[in-house]
Amino acid sequence: MRTTTKIATVALGSAALLPFLGAGIAQAADGNTMATLRPVVLNGVKANGTAMVTVKGNRIDVTMAATGLLADSPHAAHIHFGADARHECPKASDDAKGDGTINTTDGGPAYGPIVVSLTKTGDTSPKSGLAVDRFDTAPGGKLSYERGSINVSSDVAQAITEGKAVVVVHGVDHNDNGKYDGATKSDLDPSLPTEATDPAICGALSAAPAGGMDTGAGGTSTPDNEGLLLLGGGLLLAAAGTGAFTARKARNRA
Amino acid sequence: MSLSTKFGDRRGQLAAAVTVVLLLVGGGLMVRALTSPSSPPQPPSEQAIPVAQQTSGSAADATGSSTPPAATSQGGPTFGTILEPSAPVALAIPSIGVRTKGVVKLGLDKNGKLKAPTDFAKAGWYAAGPTPGEFGPAVIGAHVDSKSGPAVFYRLGALKKGAEVSVTREDGSTAHFTVDRVARYSKDNFPTATVYGDTKGRAELRLITCGGAFDHSTGHYVDNIVAFAHLTG
Ligand SMILES: [Cu+2]
Repeated sequence: MRTTTKIATVALGSAALLPFLGAGIAQAADGNTMATLRPVVLNGVKANGTAMVTVKGNRIDVTMAATGLLADSPHAAHIHFGADARHECPKASDDAKGDGTINTTDGGPAYGPIVVSLTKTGDTSPKSGLAVDRFDTAPGGKLSYERGSINVSSDVAQAITEGKAVVVVHGVDHNDNGKYDGATKSDLDPSLPTEATDPAICGALSAAPAGGMDTGAGGTSTPDNEGLLLLGGGLLLAAAGTGAFTARKARNRA
Repeated sequence: MSLSTKFGDRRGQLAAAVTVVLLLVGGGLMVRALTSPSSPPQPPSEQAIPVAQQTSGSAADATGSSTPPAATSQGGPTFGTILEPSAPVALAIPSIGVRTKGVVKLGLDKNGKLKAPTDFAKAGWYAAGPTPGEFGPAVIGAHVDSKSGPAVFYRLGALKKGAEVSVTREDGSTAHFTVDRVARYSKDNFPTATVYGDTKGRAELRLITCGGAFDHSTGHYVDNIVAFAHLTG
């Protein structure tokens, strides 16, 4: 009887602790992160943008804006992360085949595989990486994306807050004819031209600054001036005293 | 003439001389105190929202409640005007007399805190963030004062809602912002998410300086003054 009570107490105690442990783990990954999206080297897309990712436990809120993309064409967009990737955007030296462009395979060593598909609706897992009908089509070349509460694993949440995840928007019109085409097929999906999946703009997510700024040395803070006023006032009072003494002496002489 | 009168004269002359010195020094100190700038203007202090309230508790979220996505089935969300990226080179805030050229780049220290410009006469821009005019909060910080007197953002606390801020950019264009509000926060409870977090598709600007009391033991002010502005053209 006594033993059971003890066990029950321990069990209850642990159960009571659990929510706190859970909150602690979730808290550790929370934060505001951001990526400035810039043209992927060699691919020649004159587009730019910003992605803002807010991490709350195992969920993320994403807002992304970009301009200058191929208009009215689906732009697959993902968060990439690989534990053994470089956690950055591709360099010219990543062009393994030497064909003068960076395709998805070339991007791998820099930013790793897809971990989140930034679809507008439905599934957001890597499985939807090429769900072309659910990505933004950039009307007028402008991408405007906002989606809340996307589920991610703890590892991905942590990678994002630690600055190891990379946002990539795909779709490059290499031959400038206003659509995805060409003989070269995508190395992700041979039913698509490589133009549809080549990375266009890219940026590593990094944590927002922590806390405020130290922007003052105190030269105009109040106490100093008050001190000067008090000292000056005191000296003037003393002057009044000695002045009166002088005047008395002068009167005596007259 | 008696000895005592002579002695009295000497004392009188000495007293007169001392009086002149006291008047000059005392008066000088008071003039300096009165003409040297008074403490910088301070907006009312704001209580930062506790982190627990900002990030809806993960325990509650686990039940499946979710924020509805802003994107509608008809198309994406409507975002405001966004400019091409271009680094800031000058800053003008006519209503508080700020006009500064040569904006330095700022980075983070090892604790992730934004470093202040080393030059008291220059504003600095957080170079890893968006440029002023791009989507997101572009951050420009400057000192309120040096050890000897006012610095670039001395009057930031006097900035009012509706005031204009223009940022000249490297590409020759000017990004015009309008002030939404000016707040003062304790550095101990700085609302990171409010200042640096998602601006939901708007190109915004944050102007940051110091405020509140000066702590002589740390050599820093205890508060930050933050002006929030958004792109209007
Ligand atoms: Cu991708």
